[in-house]
Amino acid sequence: MPPTNDRPSDRNVPRKSAVREARNASSRPKAFLWLLGAIVLVGVAALSYVATKPKGGATDVIQTADTTNAGPAQGYPMGKPDAPVKILEFADFECPACAGFATVTEPDVRTRIIEPGLANITYFDFPLNMHRNTVAASNAAACAGEQGKFWPMHDRLFQSQDEWNGEATDSPKPFFKRYAQESGVDVAKWESCYDARKYQKRIGANLAEGLRRGVNSTPSFIIGNKLYRGMGAYDAMKAIVDSVAKTTSSSSVNGAPAAAAKTK
Amino acid sequence: MTKRMIVAALALAGIFISLYLTLYKLGVIGELTCSIGSCETVNTSKWSTFLHLPVAAWGLLFYSEVFVISLLGTMPRFENEPLVSILLVADAGIGVLFSAWLTYLELAVIHAICIWCVTSAAIVLTILVVSIADLSESRAEEIDNTEAGRSELRS
Repeated sequence: MPPTNDRPSDRNVPRKSAVREARNASSRPKAFLWLLGAIVLVGVAALSYVATKPKGGATDVIQTADTTNAGPAQGYPMGKPDAPVKILEFADFECPACAGFATVTEPDVRTRIIEPGLANITYFDFPLNMHRNTVAASNAAACAGEQGKFWPMHDRLFQSQDEWNGEATDSPKPFFKRYAQESGVDVAKWESCYDARKYQKRIGANLAEGLRRGVNSTPSFIIGNKLYRGMGAYDAMKAIVDSVAKTTSSSSVNGAPAAAAKTK
Repeated sequence: MTKRMIVAALALAGIFISLYLTLYKLGVIGELTCSIGSCETVNTSKWSTFLHLPVAAWGLLFYSEVFVISLLGTMPRFENEPLVSILLVADAGIGVLFSAWLTYLELAVIHAICIWCVTSAAIVLTILVVSIADLSESRAEEIDNTEAGRSELRS
């Protein structure tokens, strides 16, 4: 297209300041839209990245000591003692994420992994300073455990966490006492144990064991020789248990653990 | 770039930060755990909900509102509207007070610092400073216009 013959002298030339204003007015929205576009792009990319990052996968795994060397700490086991895979759980009774695991994911873990004998699980107390009633809850569960009722008490505590936690009350004992009764323990014995804080040292030893193994958040799980921070879904735990069982059976000489590993 | 555009850009960044924290709080993004330190401690503490909503969700509503108001304020129809500046200063003032309270809780009560919460507090503070500058600018323009009108009437 040929250039036009229009020259500034041919037209009504605007004032210099008006030209500058007009130029700024046209460039401002463009720069602004580019900036908004860049923020949206970065924001969406960052959110997509964190949303698609595998949960409980390799990025959240760190190497740690072998589960067979549990030290002086004493957890609360469930499942067959000779199960090929051992799961150590470090949890805090007042932690909402632990309650999420205990009430949503763990029932499946028990019926599909623990009961068939694919693995056993041992609960270790990992009370966090931010939760003021959690040590009392650990004591309540340990005292129920003395009468063989740790796990019913464990379940009861997590199911009703919102009514006895530090946000709800300063004196959680009446709640614990009710749960103890509902869990079928001898309440008088439980109460004297609870009031004496009989298992305070054991709770401290369990916490120390977690710290020694690099636990810094709850719930954390040690399966095989790896530490997993958090456990969102049953499928994630099943996949880990299967992979540890496979490793154990392939390295086994007599083949005994292979039978358990076959059950999927 | 006008001050309202800067506010809109900051609010948009705030929307993404609070959206991330809201999704995190709901367990949609990442795994919610209770931790010895860091954002997880703050986001799982009893102060992470306010009036039955996650604090991050309040942040999302706040930033969305500021974004819409500041964006409207950049449109030719409203760019000389002083009410937009007043609304932005009032909103940002409330936001700064709320953020100051949350930061106090982090430092003095929860004893954990969440970097995203601190970033959000810095954004709100910047929004307030820019909004005050925008308000004083629009006031000055208003005075100029009034005086120009008076001198026109006199002449």
